[in-house]
Amino acid sequence: MNLDDNGSTAARAAAMAAHELTRRKALRLGALGLGGAGLSAFLAACGTNNTSTPSSNASSPASTASTASAPAVGSTSAAGTGAVASGAAGTGGASSAASIPAGKSGGSVIIARAQDSVDFDKTMVFSNASIWVYVQIWETLTIGSKDGRTVEPWLATSWTQSADKLTWTFKLRTDVKFSDGTPMTSADVKFSLDEASTTKGGWEFINSAIANITTPDPHTLVIKTKYQWAPLLADLACPSNSIVPNKYGGRTKKAFYLSPIGTGPFVWDTWNKGNKLTLKKNTNYWRPGLPYLDSVSWQVVPDDNTRNVMIQGSTAQINENPPFSTVDQLKGVSGAAVTLFPSTRTDYLLMNEKRAPFDDVHVRRAISYAIDREALVKTVLFGNGTPANSLLMPTVPYYDKNTPGQTYDMTKAKAEMALSKVPKGFSTTYLAASGDSVDSELSQILQASLKELGITMAISPKDPSAIHDLQNASNFDISHSYWTMDIADPDELVQFAVLPAGGGHSFETSYNSAAAQSLATQAEKTFDTAERQALYTKLQALLAEDAFLPPLFYQPFPYAMRTSVQNFFVKPTGLYDMGVVSLA
Amino acid sequence: MKYFLYVVRRMVTLIPVGLGITLLVFLLLKIVPGDPAVTLLGTHVTDAGVAALHQQLGLDRPLWQQYLTFLGKLLHGDLGESYQYQSSVSSLVLQNLVPTIWLIVTGALFAVIIAVPLAVWAASHRNGVSDNAIRTIPLIGLGMPAFWLGIMLVLLFSLKAGAFPASGFGDGFANHVKSIVLPGLTVALALVPILVRSLRASMTDVLQSDYITTARAKGLGGARVVFGHALRNAAISSITVLGVNVAYLVGSTLVVEKVFALNGIGYLMINAIFNRDFPIVQGITLVFAVMVVLVNLLTDMTHAAFDPRVRLA
Repeated sequence: MNLDDNGSTAARAAAMAAHELTRRKALRLGALGLGGAGLSAFLAACGTNNTSTPSSNASSPASTASTASAPAVGSTSAAGTGAVASGAAGTGGASSAASIPAGKSGGSVIIARAQDSVDFDKTMVFSNASIWVYVQIWETLTIGSKDGRTVEPWLATSWTQSADKLTWTFKLRTDVKFSDGTPMTSADVKFSLDEASTTKGGWEFINSAIANITTPDPHTLVIKTKYQWAPLLADLACPSNSIVPNKYGGRTKKAFYLSPIGTGPFVWDTWNKGNKLTLKKNTNYWRPGLPYLDSVSWQVVPDDNTRNVMIQGSTAQINENPPFSTVDQLKGVSGAAVTLFPSTRTDYLLMNEKRAPFDDVHVRRAISYAIDREALVKTVLFGNGTPANSLLMPTVPYYDKNTPGQTYDMTKAKAEMALSKVPKGFSTTYLAASGDSVDSELSQILQASLKELGITMAISPKDPSAIHDLQNASNFDISHSYWTMDIADPDELVQFAVLPAGGGHSFETSYNSAAAQSLATQAEKTFDTAERQALYTKLQALLAEDAFLPPLFYQPFPYAMRTSVQNFFVKPTGLYDMGVVSLA
Repeated sequence: MKYFLYVVRRMVTLIPVGLGITLLVFLLLKIVPGDPAVTLLGTHVTDAGVAALHQQLGLDRPLWQQYLTFLGKLLHGDLGESYQYQSSVSSLVLQNLVPTIWLIVTGALFAVIIAVPLAVWAASHRNGVSDNAIRTIPLIGLGMPAFWLGIMLVLLFSLKAGAFPASGFGDGFANHVKSIVLPGLTVALALVPILVRSLRASMTDVLQSDYITTARAKGLGGARVVFGHALRNAAISSITVLGVNVAYLVGSTLVVEKVFALNGIGYLMINAIFNRDFPIVQGITLVFAVMVVLVNLLTDMTHAAFDPRVRLA
């Protein structure tokens, strides 16, 4: 989640400089994982079928303590870079320790981006522009797979669960050093996870199920949960749970986060704020032969056209956010290519249920039916996306493609209006982020449709910070927001959207449904994948039925790159691993 | 001495101007919705988190106290600390000021280099084809939006000819010079028509005056008359025109900075406004005020140097 738009869409026309702070919510990234140990093995069997309907031969992780193990990588192993993790998902990500793609050493990559990083305190920062950088410095115990549907071992090589499902024992890699040469031990891991659980920075909800953490020996970590908690492995892959040195390596917290050290492929170098941030190669990195690059720089280039020109002129190798409007323009450039990576970004319409008539389900349904999602995909994404049907997205486990979401249908919309308390219509205001292309198209398309229902909708453009504030204070009628997952488990979004404890006031809509809350809470505590799927299927249908947060569309992450860039891959959470990237 | 006192007096006027401007900006920022703490904390912001951050940033205190704190720090030369970058505003402002100053100076310089010969030529060949061309063609520069002009220059001179970098400010002096040519030209092309018209008009007047006729009668050559006698006198009003426009540029280079990825002070300012990073906004506002006053002062001083009739006292 994040404050800044990862630039995913759109020529934010007025995108003045740093702005893509367009919406609060949602963008977060993260490493992925999968709720429930051993699910990985099961999902591997499912391939990338978007509806992870359990197959009968999948052994239920609820019934056996599952173990995932990673290969030994290091000087002691002759086959150091080889073996595939047994028991881990077969869909290993490009960055899986087990599969290191070949590449040439040397060279530097410049990534052009619309806005600068904000800060590097992982317990406080929500900006993707910060997180995408810091995951090159720090690593997590588990990591998400390329398809975003499984979790793989990373700094932890394997784990076992007690019979009552409350105690998890993790074995840590023994060959990992921080970039200053200090070996990483369980004390560092405990310190890092405790820090993420106790700091009131907004991320602590991720670890809310953890009761305590103990360290029987330097390479063993025991996590006890307060209750059965299926998303734990996915949670451990969340960037906020990255591993930092115990007690910040003797520095103050503030000093540490101004020039952090970690176990990742790159180390801190320089940050010319508002301009350029550079990381250089970690010579103590534990994955043999990596990283290939000598350095990576993120250069702040607010202007969409200028970023494209830099790719054309080779002054940058990667453009982190080419607007969809320019994707075709770049297709014809020799030596450059645009890749659309499947993402978890989903856009939603917010209706404030604290204000009449949005507390009336018929009004909400009428409005949801009145959204021409196909038109939005054409105008906002230039065809690069699909209309959304569910709160969840196809790139997370437990998404149900058969969720009966409302599609554009003015006849049904009128019928719902007739059933509502305001059959003749009403006046309302759409809170729009100025310069945001989604808002500008959505508000106009919606305005025209709502007119047919007798609803007069004014459009009130405000700047990003004002939007955050007004949405957070439930001071709006209709607005728009989006979400990007940080972990490979729907729980992160479901908590935020449905549960009061999620801190999101139901995505700022004040939606309050006991039935939805009960389904969400049960699903968190269910390890059996088939049962969990059934719960989430029910939940998605219920949310659609209630026309809570009408989903608009699913969109990919567009990236423009020089063809010389090898192995660059963006996961559905938005994370990418520069450790395996090389230049041809 | 008189000159020195004049400068000091002008500098002193900065104090009320600076105070007025910072107070106005401070109040304006407080009136509009938008909370730096909410912006910083992001999605899962909790009321407790917001309250804690408000306390940490001093935003929980009454407005007058917040403003006085800002002033108190200012007296010690401290512009405060940025909320989002957690580093000192002065270092951020200084760092981002460099490309902006380069851009303004280069733009003004290029404008003069291009406009003066054109205006002189036009005035000396009044109502001819070249005069009409010089009076009308530069107007295109006024009509073209800077972002488009910048992109065109990049296409021509960077991507096609490879003569100059397409974006960024480069590292080191030599690269700065290379990098600033196209942005400077973009700024200059908007200034040229204004300068040409004003300089041509005054040049035309001067060239018809008695002392020029006398000079010509005494047998002085055309070039001596134009450059030695007419230009200096004609330039006086144009210096003011240039000064006013350069002062205006101080706050309006953002578009050019954005196209060329120069990330100067304008970028920092917009970013800070969007994030409600009050300390940066106030710091930059002050810097803008100082710069505008300085440019005006320089204009007056140049004016005085050119025109002995202007008494600085």
